[in-house]
Amino acid sequence: MSGARHARPKAIIRFRGALLQVIALTLASFVIVPLVYGVLGGFKDTSQLSTNAFGLPDPWVPENYTDILASDTFWRQLWNSTFIALATTILVVAASALAAFVLARFSFRGRELLFTLFATGLMFPFAVAILPLFVLLRMFGLLDNPLGVILPQVAFGLPMTIIILRGFFRSIPIEIEEAAIIDGCSPFGFFWRILLPMARPALATVSVLAIVSSWNNFMLPLVVFNDPNLWTLPLGVQQFQGQYSSETAKVLAYVVLAMIPALGFYAVAERQLISGLTAGAIKG
Amino acid sequence: MNAIRPRSRRARLRGSLTILAFILPALALFCMLVLTPIIVGFYTSLFKWNGLGGLPRDFVGLDNYTRLFADPVFYGDLWHTVVLVVLSLVIQLPLALGIALLLNQRLRGRAFYRVVFFAPYVLSEAITAVLFMLILSPSVGLANQILGIVGLDGLEWFADQSTVLLSLFLVITWKYFGLHMILYLTGRQAIPREIIEAAQIDGGNAWQVFRRVTLPLLGPTIRISIFLSVIGTIQLFDLVWIITEGGPSHASETLAVTMYQFGFKRFQVGYASAISVVMFLLSLVFALGYQRYVMRRDLEGATTVLREQR
Amino acid sequence: MKWIRRTALLCAAVLAIGGCGGAGGDDGGGGSSDSKKVTIEFWNIATNEPLKSVFANAIRDFQAKHPNIEIKNVAIENDAFKSKLTTTMQSGKAPDIFHTWGGGVLKQQADAGLVKDVTEDIASWPQKFTNAAIAPYQFDGKTYAVPHDIGMVGIWYNKALFKKAGIEQPPATWSEFIEAVKKLKAAGITPIALAGKAKWPGHYYWSYLAMRIGGLDALKQAAETKDFTDPAFIEAGRKLKELVDLEPFQKGFLGAAYDTADGQAATMGNGKAAMELMGQWAPSVQSSAGKGIGDDLGFFPFPAVEGGKGTNTEALGGGGGFAVGAEAPPEALEFLKFLTEETEHRKAVESGGVLPVLQGEEDAVKDPNLAEVAKHLAATTGFQLYLDQAFPPAVGQEVNDSVAELIAGTETPEGVAKAITETAKSE
Repeated sequence: MSGARHARPKAIIRFRGALLQVIALTLASFVIVPLVYGVLGGFKDTSQLSTNAFGLPDPWVPENYTDILASDTFWRQLWNSTFIALATTILVVAASALAAFVLARFSFRGRELLFTLFATGLMFPFAVAILPLFVLLRMFGLLDNPLGVILPQVAFGLPMTIIILRGFFRSIPIEIEEAAIIDGCSPFGFFWRILLPMARPALATVSVLAIVSSWNNFMLPLVVFNDPNLWTLPLGVQQFQGQYSSETAKVLAYVVLAMIPALGFYAVAERQLISGLTAGAIKG
Repeated sequence: MNAIRPRSRRARLRGSLTILAFILPALALFCMLVLTPIIVGFYTSLFKWNGLGGLPRDFVGLDNYTRLFADPVFYGDLWHTVVLVVLSLVIQLPLALGIALLLNQRLRGRAFYRVVFFAPYVLSEAITAVLFMLILSPSVGLANQILGIVGLDGLEWFADQSTVLLSLFLVITWKYFGLHMILYLTGRQAIPREIIEAAQIDGGNAWQVFRRVTLPLLGPTIRISIFLSVIGTIQLFDLVWIITEGGPSHASETLAVTMYQFGFKRFQVGYASAISVVMFLLSLVFALGYQRYVMRRDLEGATTVLREQR
Repeated sequence: MKWIRRTALLCAAVLAIGGCGGAGGDDGGGGSSDSKKVTIEFWNIATNEPLKSVFANAIRDFQAKHPNIEIKNVAIENDAFKSKLTTTMQSGKAPDIFHTWGGGVLKQQADAGLVKDVTEDIASWPQKFTNAAIAPYQFDGKTYAVPHDIGMVGIWYNKALFKKAGIEQPPATWSEFIEAVKKLKAAGITPIALAGKAKWPGHYYWSYLAMRIGGLDALKQAAETKDFTDPAFIEAGRKLKELVDLEPFQKGFLGAAYDTADGQAATMGNGKAAMELMGQWAPSVQSSAGKGIGDDLGFFPFPAVEGGKGTNTEALGGGGGFAVGAEAPPEALEFLKFLTEETEHRKAVESGGVLPVLQGEEDAVKDPNLAEVAKHLAATTGFQLYLDQAFPPAVGQEVNDSVAELIAGTETPEGVAKAITETAKSE
């Protein structure tokens, strides 16, 4: 019962470990090579990209990176992106968790219909929805206002988040819920004190997905924000793009830098994911 | 899932109010900001409209739809979608699952790998497109350079009608497998360690444990992953638009790309809305069918599986 | 429980900051009395130098002269600009001042009542615009935008590569052009760089052939009757097919973009192709996407077609202008008058950001390549706006798409004419 495995010769264990490493490294290289190319590309100037696409930069042009880091528009956009992403994520996870809870663990008439209704949010192209959405936002005076981006992002993030959370909320065994009710727990109490902590990996997952989606959103901030002070990072890329040509190298540098915070969020949230390893679904 | 105990009328009312209270924030936001635009989209699909000058006036009924169904490009789009869906289900999802399981092992540098494998998903579509247009460039691309080293002829990748869809699939897989990987990772975490260990003790080797215990327990997660993947493929737009614009000669065009062409470049917004409605209906039909036949077990009681194992 | 408090605090913060965000947005500003502050939104695409600084300085100078007017500079990149403008227009409101390319799109916007008719305002100004410059913004005798830039499309070629292939003079007729292509191929040089994916560079060929064979009148006629099945257009398609069948383009051209590191401009700029048919911006993109070929770069107008009704002094091109929203305050026109005044506009021309749109400005062009283009522009006998902009958007896009298919080998010249006609008729 204490996790005793089949006794295995040490050599096999070590071989297995090495094999896994090899597989992991091979797969990782397919992922890393384009990324490394992007990072290195930022150290070249744009015409070097066409003459020396994949070699090391020659000469190295650190200005692409340092200029961006030194410009205060980058930091302002970084702040805007962070603020909007965090606000969006908190609101969407909160609203979705509440809704997914009843969709997962209560039975009532029209439940599946309601769930499908939410799912339809995934089925319509955003590019067509944006015009009526824009008119609505203007009506409510939400243009040039962070809420004009946050609220629609929350609304459009609800479908995927609810779908994923509902799936995980279902997997909590019914015995736990029964025990809680016998102990006199209200639905909200069960939700808040038992369900949510147990669903931490799932919450971390949907949070990461919400942050990434908000981080890269281009169309919505583009039409909502006229004031460059409100611009988010994806909009900031435009300063390197002109009518007929783009400074691709600077764009690469910019995007690499813009990606780092989002990856940072993931690294942090990811520790929540693996904490589930030791928790397990059946608590004492 | 059934209620735990029989309820009095008042208790049921309170229950309904509780349900309403939980659902309301999401529902309100959703109806206002998502449903309303969709309904407007349905409405405008019945008109011939260039988007300017107030509400559409030129009512054409279902003409936009008949025009769409008579256009060979539409059928090309459908075919491309089918191809991409099948490829995703057969290649991308198993790949993501494999990687998720790999990252769940005791592996040195596991945290590093997790960040690395998720990084493509974090990268924006625009820059993914730029990177791969360069890597798969027939003239200066890394891919052809590598092929050249091993003595193979370079491919045309995005520049040839016969290879463009597969090349696109390569990029799509690279970009999006991280989403499914993270789903499978989370799903895997939710499986109690005790169950796996019990199965191992019962004398299964790794593959048997996987097939008989892990895989079925991952079932709900896999089914969600497939659901999101199919719907996502039907809606696929950004990467395709930036890399190929649907070309060459419509060889890589998807429904969303056609919609964008007609709506935003040709300013035939009514027609584009019709295309959006068709995309919507396709997704809806799939979703309804999928829920009924595939996810039904998940809906009855997620603990059914665990229960049966007792 | 700490969680709840923190969340509530954050929500409150969100709402508070949201409230302070204000509704700056897209209101046009106050009344027209001198004492009240008027804000004008100036939507342009000058995200890069040199125009970025030119505009910044112009705004500064103008505001110094008119302390009660504030100009908000909204500079957005080309493609993003089109998206943002489209959404704003479709919602029923036009910005005070916005960059426009004229042609069919502007006409649609004018027909919807979103753009101000500026015919009389312009007539009252001291500065005089050239006919070519103002043509793209005129419909039914009225003008709907103030010109700021003009350009034309011609063939940029690599003199060194021409010499290597034994071509002494740039071709002046179509058959000479085909000969040149054959000679280049024989010398192992890629004759033409083309961005097949982008489609608009390809449509230049068809447009010019239509102009050379049918004359400008054929195009005007077709736009009115919505019938493109005139033999001239089919012949244009045939001649283009003749060129395409020689396989003159670079490897992988069907997937090539224009300004990327492996695109048309870079191919030309790195000396890998001998010619490209492109607008006046070509040299600068060649040296930013690629290395640039410096003194080896030359320019000649698109050849004439023997027996055709058009001449090679007729130019295909376009420019950029500024249109005024229908509800914009009169100060908007004040600013545009200032921006296009002789002394002010000259600064823009000298910076290399735009070409002359006023009569008598040609000498202000400093860059030798641009001066070459300006010289040809000043001598044009006829001007045609790019077809994908001149026509209503749907028709323009159909031209791009059908010609791209012709080049890819999946469409016939007759098919091209038919497709364009069908789209035109259904508009």
